[in-house]
Amino acid sequence: MNCCSMNILLLPIVIPLAAGVLTLLLPRALKGVKELLALVATGATLYYAWVLFQAGEDVRLLVPWTSFGIDFDLYAPHFARFILLAAAGFQILLTLYSTSFMSGKWRSKEFFAYLLITAGMTNGAVLSNNFIVLLFFWESLLVTLYGMISIGHKGAHPTATKAFIISGAADFLMFLGILLAWKISGTFTMSEIHLDSHGLGAAAFVLMSLGAMAKAGAMPFHTWIPDAALDAPLPFMAYLPAALEKLLGIYMLGRISLEFFTIHMNSPLSIFLMSLGAITIVFPVLMALVQKDYKRLLSFHAISQVGYMILGIGTGSAIGIAGGLFHMLNHAMYKCTLFLSGGSVEKQTGTTDLSKLGGLFKAMPITALCFWVAALSISGVPPFNGFVSKEMVFHGAWETGHPIFAVAAWLGAIFTFASFLKLGHSSYFGKRSLDMPTQKPRESGLAMLIPMLVIAGGCILFGVKSEIPLKHFIEPILAGKPVVEGPMEFWHHAYDINWIVGVSMGCLLIAFLLHLYGFAKSGGKAHLASEPVHNLPVAHKLYDWAEADVFDMYNWFFNKTIRGSAAAIYVLIDRGIDALYERFMIWVGQLGIGRLKEAHNGVYANYLAWVIGGFVLVAWVLVSAAAR
Amino acid sequence: MLLLFIVLPLAVAAVMPLLDRVSRRLPDALASLTVAALFAMECGYVTLVAGGEVVYWSATKYGVPAGFSLMMDGLSLLFLVTISLVAFFCSIFSSTYMAPYGKKSTFYALLLIMIAGMNGLVLTTDLFNLYVFLEVAAVAGYALVGFGQQGDNVEGAFKYLMLSVVATTSILLSLSFIYFMTGTLSLPLLASQAGAAMNAKLIAVCIALFLMGFGLKIGVVPFHGWLPDAYPAAPAPISAMLSGILGKVTGIYALLRIVFSVFGLTPDISHIFTVLGVASMLVGALLAIGQTDFRRMLAYSSISQVGYMFLGFGTGTAMGIAAGLFHLFNHAVFKSLLFLDAGSTEYATGIRDLRKLGGINNRLPITGLTTTIGVFSTAGVPPFNGFWSKLFVILALVGAQQYFVAVLAIGASILTLWYFLQMQRWAFYGKLTAGLEFIREVPFGMAFATFCLALLCLAIGLCYPWITANLIEPGVTALMGAKMPLM
Repeated sequence: MNCCSMNILLLPIVIPLAAGVLTLLLPRALKGVKELLALVATGATLYYAWVLFQAGEDVRLLVPWTSFGIDFDLYAPHFARFILLAAAGFQILLTLYSTSFMSGKWRSKEFFAYLLITAGMTNGAVLSNNFIVLLFFWESLLVTLYGMISIGHKGAHPTATKAFIISGAADFLMFLGILLAWKISGTFTMSEIHLDSHGLGAAAFVLMSLGAMAKAGAMPFHTWIPDAALDAPLPFMAYLPAALEKLLGIYMLGRISLEFFTIHMNSPLSIFLMSLGAITIVFPVLMALVQKDYKRLLSFHAISQVGYMILGIGTGSAIGIAGGLFHMLNHAMYKCTLFLSGGSVEKQTGTTDLSKLGGLFKAMPITALCFWVAALSISGVPPFNGFVSKEMVFHGAWETGHPIFAVAAWLGAIFTFASFLKLGHSSYFGKRSLDMPTQKPRESGLAMLIPMLVIAGGCILFGVKSEIPLKHFIEPILAGKPVVEGPMEFWHHAYDINWIVGVSMGCLLIAFLLHLYGFAKSGGKAHLASEPVHNLPVAHKLYDWAEADVFDMYNWFFNKTIRGSAAAIYVLIDRGIDALYERFMIWVGQLGIGRLKEAHNGVYANYLAWVIGGFVLVAWVLVSAAAR
Repeated sequence: MLLLFIVLPLAVAAVMPLLDRVSRRLPDALASLTVAALFAMECGYVTLVAGGEVVYWSATKYGVPAGFSLMMDGLSLLFLVTISLVAFFCSIFSSTYMAPYGKKSTFYALLLIMIAGMNGLVLTTDLFNLYVFLEVAAVAGYALVGFGQQGDNVEGAFKYLMLSVVATTSILLSLSFIYFMTGTLSLPLLASQAGAAMNAKLIAVCIALFLMGFGLKIGVVPFHGWLPDAYPAAPAPISAMLSGILGKVTGIYALLRIVFSVFGLTPDISHIFTVLGVASMLVGALLAIGQTDFRRMLAYSSISQVGYMFLGFGTGTAMGIAAGLFHLFNHAVFKSLLFLDAGSTEYATGIRDLRKLGGINNRLPITGLTTTIGVFSTAGVPPFNGFWSKLFVILALVGAQQYFVAVLAIGASILTLWYFLQMQRWAFYGKLTAGLEFIREVPFGMAFATFCLALLCLAIGLCYPWITANLIEPGVTALMGAKMPLM
């Protein structure tokens, strides 16, 4: 390997990191410099990611770091190069968007710094080939996650803390899995790990895949995302939960289930992944359906769609895995566009409350157009990209012979389309609401429109010409893997008419009718179109509970259980031992030290009693060992 | 010239009270400069010692050895560097912070005596001299905890004194047993006699006495009772010194040196280390959750972090000991940072109860930022230094097949994160408490000290391979012998 290829692996990490640190140091007075710096840095990153992708060879950089097999090891197989390229693309587009959206906002300098540092750390995590290096980059993302949410507004800290704790806990699961994998294989070098998925290996797989899925936002690690949708700056939502975290999490899940382990169709681990995927599809989409806020509705979809990716990868069939990975890319694109359109609406109208929006199509035609392209993509309407990848997932799920998973996926499709009909109808069509804070909204500026247009264009391109991404991005990932039997020419079947497509189209029709029914029932108020579902006898109660955080693991665990056990420990260890020592002291007093108790206060005597007790225990252990 | 590490601070301490009459600022400058000079001298030794050299110095009288000798190997150097690093920033911080507490020249004199005592302790080759230096450092410590204070705080100092007396008595008792058995207290001689026919039960009692004595100095559960009272009672820079280094030098350094060169790390001792480590880690972390006094919370957190070090030492592998030593080094940096930040918060607001604070992050941006960095570092979040040492502790535990303990260690670090984030929510975020609208960021000297320590947390985190290669691994070699494989 030559010196050039070594540098090129470092550049996508170092350039954004250096620019991020530099941004923090910039004086506040320099206007426009931070934006320019961020654009140049992400542009350079994109360039090098492209060069690396084009290079077509598996470059590696290995610097011995410290003993114990921990080396600074970067390696770029095709999968990593593809994710890096996609990530770099989103990085520059989101930077461009933020230059307009964040201008004049509170603490925007920090926002750009975090944006760039996040980019560097993500690229590092994608390229690392040593688990310790991976953990370093992976967990470093926690810091910028915390930072980016907390600068949303002055009261955003509880949400930032929640996101930090949930992601931190998930990272620890990942860490445990890595420890197990290390213990089994004896190495930290990722490219050398190929494990059996039985016994301890299965435990390692479950822990690592939970960590990876949590990064992607799957249930039950999702609860911070809807909160962040309201509290964090909007580009954050498009940047992390919609794009980079999906890429990173599903990338890792893909590596885990294709490379470190091999998932066979209908093995217990495959069922585990598919079940988690199916649950993640269905429940959040039901929550999304009844939301009445633009951003919050989107955030539930950011969770629900992960389910399709996990389900696809979990099927263990070539078409399912390819579909899951393709869906990851497609999702990052349309969800990014959707959030960006939300940002555009928020910037121009001053609100994202659906009851206060309406009739924006005339005022903001380009935003509306991009929104509808992305909305039809996410709903799986042909010929957009989401249609192709969802069909592949349906096929894969059906192939496993467990129809329940395919049914869950179709169920998700119904409510996805219904909720987007509601969202699009209530914000872009109908009458303009009189409650809208800005009564004369205008179309956003170019810096915000270009990223939306580019990605929306991509959604159409990857739908109509799905063979391009499938052939250049997805197929080489699967090449040579044991799950693949026969040729992998998925795109040949993309627009075949078969009964699975028929069912999918039926789902879309049901969704459309559901929306019409709800719209008519609510007296022509589009934002209330989901009320018939909301008001179903049992559903209503469940929805109330969900909104009251009854299903929020974080709330249960951290705000109730730990507080309780801390109090219990306090009573047991501090007070309990206190009482014990009160009696213990009588015995100690007989040995002549008891007079200390009279000379000093009781607390001091307690401390001393602990010391003596500890000494007696230690001496007893050691002396009895010596006597053996 | 190794003697300079002891003589220089003592000499400066001696002239310090006179300087007060010359200039107000002179003691500030001189104290910091002295510590900086010590640090510079230590840096000069780093490459030499990392290369495997051991530096000796011996007192001679008319050409004849006079029975007082000093030795610097990897372990001594690691502790020397840690001492002057923390002491330097504490001394800069004190220049402003200590102004209301009384005569600063006396304060610096005591601080320098404490440094001299600790430097002597880590350099000496004789157990009795070690005891003497330990007392020198400890006596200066008692005076500093109670420096310029009244009421409850003096009681904290007194409690510290009374339990330390128990510690030193038990150490002295154990030393006398060893002298009775071997006829010498010289470490090299004892090391060469290791395994000679000695009374096994008496040795066991000696080890137990040492564990109790040094355990008290360290504040490991169940010997921790004095610690949550003494740390909050002391002036903030002294809390930082106590938690960051004094306890670690007088406790962990001495314990490791004696256990490894006199007794050897037997499975029984490492087992006890692990049990003490688990107890400290969990009890400290759980008790920290309930605390509303910033520094008391930090004191419990120190107990918890000491648990991690003991877990590393308890594995008995080179990786575990490296992890424990690295965590000790990192802890010295991030915990003194947090204690200084607690001091800054008190200085700016005059309030110690976390729940009575609120929203001060916007009023005290530097203190808020550096506290966040200290918190992340303690909780083991990359890219800060605590991440690496905690990671190594856990890897060492898995390497030594102590899986359950490894899971506990991971769990405890989530608890750490939780109580710290709760602290930040109470004090730094949310709505600004009424009455705090006009507080201002602390003066330059204090902000500078915390900012530099926060930067160090980041720098060590990013350059950790350099630190482990040049400071930590030589320390492990010094303890375990060069032949020991690292895994």
